[in-house]
Amino acid sequence: MEISFDKYSLMVDGKRFFIKSGAFHYFRCPGEKIARDRFLKMKAGGYNTVDIYFNWNYHSIKEGEYDFSGIKDVRKVLQAAKDAGLFVIARPGPFINAEVNAGGLPFWLLRKKDVIPRNRIGTEYKYSNEYMKYIAQWYDQIIPIINEFDNVILFQIENEYATDTMEEDYMRELYKMARERGVKCPIFHNDAYFAGLWADCVDIYALDLYPYINPNQNWKQDSYCFDTLDNVEEIFRGAKEDSPAFIAEMQSGWFDKWDGSGYAKMREALSDEHINIMTKTALSQGITLFNHYMTCGGTNWADLACDEVYTSYEFCAPIDEFGLMQSNYFKAKEINYFLDSFDFTMTEPKDFDFYQENIYSKLRHDLTNKCDWLFFRNMNPETTELELPNGKNVKIKPYDMKICPVKLKLKGCEIEFCDVGIFARLRSDKEEAIFFIADKDANIYLSDGRIISGNKKDYEHITFEKDGYRTQFVFLTKQLSDRTWFLKDKIIFNADFVLPNGAIALENSAEIAYFDLKHGFSKKTYVVNKHVNYKPVIAQIDNVEFCSPEIDYGYDYSSWQKITGKTDSLSCGLYDEFVWYKAQIPDNLTDITLSARHLFAVYINGKEVLNRNSYKIEKLQDIPETISIPLDKNILNKSKNELTILVQNLGFDKGFSGDTNNPRGLVSFETTPHTDIEFSVCEKLSLQRLEKHESDNPYLTKITAHFNCDINENEFFAKYISFEDFYCRRATIFLNGVKIGRYIKRTHVQDKFYLINEFLKPHNTLDVIVWEKDRNIKSPWGFKSDIKNVKILIGTQKIYEIFK
Amino acid sequence: MAIVPEFLIKRIYQKGSLKKLENGASIGLKNILGPGLISGFNYVKINDVTFTQENVTFTTNGKEYAGTEVSEDNPVVFRLGQSGVLTMNGQDCVVEGKNTIVIEALNPEAGIVRLNAEDNV
Repeated sequence: MEISFDKYSLMVDGKRFFIKSGAFHYFRCPGEKIARDRFLKMKAGGYNTVDIYFNWNYHSIKEGEYDFSGIKDVRKVLQAAKDAGLFVIARPGPFINAEVNAGGLPFWLLRKKDVIPRNRIGTEYKYSNEYMKYIAQWYDQIIPIINEFDNVILFQIENEYATDTMEEDYMRELYKMARERGVKCPIFHNDAYFAGLWADCVDIYALDLYPYINPNQNWKQDSYCFDTLDNVEEIFRGAKEDSPAFIAEMQSGWFDKWDGSGYAKMREALSDEHINIMTKTALSQGITLFNHYMTCGGTNWADLACDEVYTSYEFCAPIDEFGLMQSNYFKAKEINYFLDSFDFTMTEPKDFDFYQENIYSKLRHDLTNKCDWLFFRNMNPETTELELPNGKNVKIKPYDMKICPVKLKLKGCEIEFCDVGIFARLRSDKEEAIFFIADKDANIYLSDGRIISGNKKDYEHITFEKDGYRTQFVFLTKQLSDRTWFLKDKIIFNADFVLPNGAIALENSAEIAYFDLKHGFSKKTYVVNKHVNYKPVIAQIDNVEFCSPEIDYGYDYSSWQKITGKTDSLSCGLYDEFVWYKAQIPDNLTDITLSARHLFAVYINGKEVLNRNSYKIEKLQDIPETISIPLDKNILNKSKNELTILVQNLGFDKGFSGDTNNPRGLVSFETTPHTDIEFSVCEKLSLQRLEKHESDNPYLTKITAHFNCDINENEFFAKYISFEDFYCRRATIFLNGVKIGRYIKRTHVQDKFYLINEFLKPHNTLDVIVWEKDRNIKSPWGFKSDIKNVKILIGTQKIYEIFK
Repeated sequence: MAIVPEFLIKRIYQKGSLKKLENGASIGLKNILGPGLISGFNYVKINDVTFTQENVTFTTNGKEYAGTEVSEDNPVVFRLGQSGVLTMNGQDCVVEGKNTIVIEALNPEAGIVRLNAEDNV
């Protein structure tokens, strides 16, 4: 495929395409099956492109080693995109941010003495030959794979990059490196500051737009939050005149943080109004390439997360973490179908003299359809009536946005003006059917003077004929339009979802309607026999055992790595979430003073002396905490006293505004009186190290449950584990040996965890490692006898039967 | 580390806007970066004179805000394209010729935003 562009749009083999992209993280949606599922759902929702970050860190655990096998096989992901009929925007970094651990830079790289990550210290530019050398290695691995796929239409270098002085060497070198390795498509960078940054170093200037990044902000009251979007065309034209307007990351959700309010509240705040405003305003500004970031939510399983985010990376995305379509998916689908129906790739702004308070308006002339499109947005908290210069009155709901055609010539009639929302259009040479979303307050004004009310029931239709050509208007209620699916030459109604190959997904039995221009309407009933009880069930707990032998006095740690210098994770070369430190300490100490990130506990001679959550981020910066623990003879009661420290690292900084190299693990350790302590270190919990040891101490306890799962090829299902009634304060969850979640009760952000389909089997083992029980459990660490208080719930989020 | 590069923050300062006032100074700002909120003024420093928030007022969109009343709970909306005047009272600070200016303000998302500028009077 040959990709070219002009100031209007991207062209594939000379044909203009409106790029409707959605972001998908294969590392957060592991496995080919999940990728295929999400891509088909994206395609079904009218997206034609998937945006993929390639995560260097995920593929390179050790220096010089790259793993693209099994669930890390990106060829399978790219093939799945191709099979779904999607173009690909490839974003291999090297830095990707994406709220992943260390922003996607490998941990081993961060340890290199002469490497300056991203060639900057703070915002000061510092070129590092060593860093560039390792980027070349990564590009040598990933670019040849990307090049195998001819559906890759755009390639990004770096990510949201800026320095104080904006030297161009680094960006120009990345561009050159990509070209030298055979990248043929246009190269871009995404400017997070919408200031025209790097426009001269790339082929297409692109920017990121996130008007809602503070969940405490009520975007509906802060209409100024769309200021940049409302003027974005000017920014694009100022930055690069001859390339199309491309929003490389256009907000369709946002990530929640450990100290956040939870995704349910954020979804409620954004609803489907936000994506509607974002996308339609972008169209009003002449955008012909957008990428909804994110379109598919994901899961921070294993150690994927940076320190800011918790297990769920649901992101309020149109397709959520479980693979379920949410209300903003249906809104995006509505807009995508509209864009499939009317070619929007060549439009120009046109003067439109109109002002009303809290109303955004914009007029564009469409060079392809030879008509105009009027855009209105209402930021008033009530329905507002607009009196337009053309004499028409338009009622617009609060926080809604409309696209109204003006003088739109159709096959059998001409629309003079219309404020009834257009959903989709089916066309043949002589005929067309236009599907509208019924609206009792809106009308279609025809050029011959007829006015057609939008107050219609499902399937009501009107036909117009002129000179042997025919146009049919068909009306659908909003409810039915959400359940309506546009395939290439037909429309299918009343299904939960329909995949691009025509497979119909239903939760319950339903009568499905079909329409195509040749045969008109037809119906068929589908029967779903399975009745699902969505009430979660309490998992049968099969075993409870103490699982931290490392804490036991006398535990043999002679094989652990010995540390004489710095004790932080990077210095020790230990990057796992859990790092153990053990040492002999003298009995004359009066206190120890330490700082550790993020959660940690200190044990002396097998007894806990401190258990602390030191996680604190304020104003996007780590807030370090240093703690002193007084010691006495009651604690240091042996001739050889043994110190054990367990540190839980919730992730390295993502490197956007902070430093990827901010230390984790045991950051500092001092004794009074000063004594040189030689630590031995080891990473992972004993379960992960497959170490079988009986333990006497109850501080970490493993609860094991088993459950079965029906896995049928003709079903889509999503299951979860719930800690809604869980008494313990912290837990790490393993499904069939794979770490799938971190639970911290205090944060109240997540108590439901996705049992990722890729790791599910017909017979499953669930291990929940509890570290520190709830204070409400009275008996002192008598955990086994308190087991009656522990409830692990397993539930099914949804099951759809797929009729192929 | 500031989330916004210094060269971009500098653009908020309106070159040539520094004015010597009786017992103080004023400077002009214009938001050319994007929609934003100011959730606090830590200090303004002109040459060697530091003005704490008690001695700073910000006038924008026809309203005057005392530095002490601007907070995360009571931020000032500073829209894209909007201008404002920051006034410092209590001490003479402007010299003839080159003046150095530092403004440290707070933004709910970016945290501390520090603007360094120079202006001639």
